[in-house]
Amino acid sequence: MGALLDFTQPWMLMALPLALLPLLPNRRDTLQFSHLAWLPADRAGHMLSTAWRACALLAIASVVLALAGPGRSQTQVMRTGTGAEILVLIDRSRSMDERMLTSDWQTLDPLVVRYQAQSRGQPKGKAARDLLSKFVDERPHDRFGLMCFSANPIHVAPITRRTEFIQAGITAGGVGRGLTNTDVGWALNSAIQAFDQRAYSGSRIILLVSDGGAKLATDVRRQLREGLLRNRITLNWIYLRSVNGADFNAISEQSETLPEIALHRFFQSLQTPYTAYQAMSPQDLADAVTDIGNQQHFPIDFIEQIPRRDYSRYFLATAAFFCAMLLAYRAFRLREWS
Amino acid sequence: MATAQAFHYRMPRRVAGQRPGSHRGSSLGAGQEFVSHANLYDRPDPRRLDLRASVRSLSREWLVRVSRQRAGVTVQAVVDVSASMAFGAHTPKLQVAADFVEALAFSTFRAGDALGMVAFDATERADLFVPAMLNRGMGEVMSRLIRQCRTAPGSVAGLEQAVARLAPRSGLVFLMSDFHWSLDRLGPVVDALAHNFVVPMIIWDQAEIEPPAQDAIAALDDSESGTSRTLWIRPLLRARWRDNVANRKRELDRFFAARSMRPFYVTGAFGADAMSEYFFEVNA
Repeated sequence: MGALLDFTQPWMLMALPLALLPLLPNRRDTLQFSHLAWLPADRAGHMLSTAWRACALLAIASVVLALAGPGRSQTQVMRTGTGAEILVLIDRSRSMDERMLTSDWQTLDPLVVRYQAQSRGQPKGKAARDLLSKFVDERPHDRFGLMCFSANPIHVAPITRRTEFIQAGITAGGVGRGLTNTDVGWALNSAIQAFDQRAYSGSRIILLVSDGGAKLATDVRRQLREGLLRNRITLNWIYLRSVNGADFNAISEQSETLPEIALHRFFQSLQTPYTAYQAMSPQDLADAVTDIGNQQHFPIDFIEQIPRRDYSRYFLATAAFFCAMLLAYRAFRLREWS
Repeated sequence: MATAQAFHYRMPRRVAGQRPGSHRGSSLGAGQEFVSHANLYDRPDPRRLDLRASVRSLSREWLVRVSRQRAGVTVQAVVDVSASMAFGAHTPKLQVAADFVEALAFSTFRAGDALGMVAFDATERADLFVPAMLNRGMGEVMSRLIRQCRTAPGSVAGLEQAVARLAPRSGLVFLMSDFHWSLDRLGPVVDALAHNFVVPMIIWDQAEIEPPAQDAIAALDDSESGTSRTLWIRPLLRARWRDNVANRKRELDRFFAARSMRPFYVTGAFGADAMSEYFFEVNA
């Protein structure tokens, strides 16, 4: 770690000689006395005077240094960890506010399932966020990125190791209602681009959490295929199925035209690995997340940027301390002869 | 301006001099103090014929009474106007000196003595010199000179120069200073004034001899040398401060006693009664 000190305003250091002012023999706060020689020599007093000078000197010096804005310059640290770079791409569309089925849905009467889902279930978005949050917690060695999308992608967090940052992003996803449109193609494209400028240091996963698909245009498909291949990204799709949504497990002739199935088919046609998880209840979702969690455990090397750390407040605190000492000295000073 | 307090003073020994005054003189003349009888032809002053003594005398000659006349002296105020004299918690010591000079002028005029003033710091201060004269208004002039003078660091050298001006004469000398200097060089200076009756007036301020009552940190500047020192005033230091003052006082007493002088201490303000008492004791 290069602990180099730098200054944002180095020209302020020109004021540093001001710190020598307290060493000047002439002081304004002294009392005149006719003849010092007949006063007793006082060692304690001499030490107090020296301490006063030192305090004043340090107070001025600290203030000047604080004004110059000292700090440790931005550094890069190479870290080695296990795990993957996971970019979570969450659908932020309004359909995600709908409720999921409860885990015991299979025991319910099919006639009331839909009603039950509307009244009892957890909103899809919330269930997904809870699980993702747990997922992020359980995988401290992975690095995560977070992106939401609806009509266009919203960059929430770049790929980083700061899990608290990601967690905050995931929590913030719950604020307000969902947005109207969904453009999976654009979102995926920009998720792929998030990996573009990064050195390949471990397996890469895009975790698409969505409840709907789209039919993609031909050039978008081409872009996605090439992008995933170029960046060597594994795609996982957690498909939050609505009660009457398309079912990946029962693909029939008619269902091929549904946008979810179309997207699924496109993903299957990719040269890069792809797994789809169809989740209808929170339990399915949890299983999917666990499965993804078990997939990736490879060591990765990565460079972490340590931002510039500003030390000026420590200097200000020091200055404040010494100023307090000076004030205490002042309070005890003899102001006039009685 | 408050009226000056007069005090009574008499020279403790006979003074030479022809000018009539109020001190016991050594010269013969018109006075109450009988010395002897003399032949009328030796001292032809028939007003003082002593008939009884003439009748009684065996040589059958006319005798006249001879007496000594009372004489006036020259009083000199020697004032230290060094920077340390400007110190004072409430009134500067120079003000005390000025008050005394005013009282002195009043008293000397009443006694019929001439008063002059010599001031010094590191050298003699010619601008504050007042020649000895009998003048009722001079006291005010002198005290104003002292009150308004600018001070500078002083030394015994200044006193040496000032004394050189006075030494050959005889009279009464009031030496006003705080004596904040080494006594080594003071000996010859005081000895040079042997023809005079010297009253060493040691003017100190209350703040000099008594340490501050409250515990505090005192950052002090010497008014003459400019050096500074910080004292932590606490009971231990207060005791040592008082010891130092007592030691200095003892040292000064011993120094002046060796020259048969008694120092007159003034602290804070000049008291005319104390000065009168001083002279009563000296003359007793």
